[in-house]
Amino acid sequence: MSKKILIVDDSPIARKMLKSCIPKDQGYEFHEACDGKDGYEKYQELKPDLTFMDLTMPVMTGYESIDAIVKHDNNALIIVVTADVQMTAIKRVMESGAFMVLKKPLKKEEIATAMSKAFESRSG
Amino acid sequence: MGSSTNELLTAEEIEIMQEIMNIAFGKSAADLAEVIDTHVVLSIPYIKCMEVTELPEYIKNDVKDYKNISIVEQGFWGKFRGDALLVFSSGSGKELITLLQQDQEVRAGHESESFDVLESETLMEVGNILIGACIGKVAELLKDVVTYTPPKVIVEKYYGDVISDAQYDPDKAAIVLRTDFRFDKGNVSGFLFLITSQESVSWLKQALTDFLEQYE
Repeated sequence: MSKKILIVDDSPIARKMLKSCIPKDQGYEFHEACDGKDGYEKYQELKPDLTFMDLTMPVMTGYESIDAIVKHDNNALIIVVTADVQMTAIKRVMESGAFMVLKKPLKKEEIATAMSKAFESRSG
Repeated sequence: MGSSTNELLTAEEIEIMQEIMNIAFGKSAADLAEVIDTHVVLSIPYIKCMEVTELPEYIKNDVKDYKNISIVEQGFWGKFRGDALLVFSSGSGKELITLLQQDQEVRAGHESESFDVLESETLMEVGNILIGACIGKVAELLKDVVTYTPPKVIVEKYYGDVISDAQYDPDKAAIVLRTDFRFDKGNVSGFLFLITSQESVSWLKQALTDFLEQYE
């Protein structure tokens, strides 16, 4: 069964850029959300295998969305993709249960490696 | 807004520019956080095309709640060219001095200076980091190289007196890239405006297309 990937970012261009970096040969099923609240609601509905989460978003921030998702499912696999690369931001999201933080702009190799590590972490 | 300014950038080009500005100001905040022990709370950047004559009123409308403001202004030019206007809320300069003085080396270096000079230099230093990192990152992402004019600093003046209607060429259009920010420590907040004129537009449109092509 193909893995479900949820991309949460308020920028359609950022979602498109991220999707283009994800390996095409794995048959992933993609879903998108346009803010943290939409992301949380889609998470509950879809139970994705992996969620990519931006931080600076309207309605509900990525921080709040991660908190809500992890409260709902403490096994959630979340990779934060953000332009906010301040140490305080990285520390906060890692403490809230994100698996990893990737810095924008994205590179294809980084995404592929991050996804492999993330899925490996749940395979054992 | 006139029809000519509507045509400056397409909706997709504005979205790409917003994402680039988001990345660039994230870099600025991270660079500043290395100097000042604070977290800069970022917002979603906003891009607007307008006639230059509309610009002073637009900026005044954003900063009017501050009443008094301090400004760091710096020109930049490469293929991407224009003016950066970093506007701080009233009292930010003094707050920044307090935050920076937690670093003993900074205090020692400025012991003999008057407080006004120290405030001006502090704003210039912080402005240099925020503006330089932001424009530098925009230029890097769009494969350009920019140089800068020396920064000009205005400390604690009434906003209506320093945002002048006669400051810009009335025959030109402008693209305004705006992001607002606040520090989680101290009462420091403000706006960064990057104002680029229509002279940069044809280059900018191609550069944005090239940037997105990496992700096609």
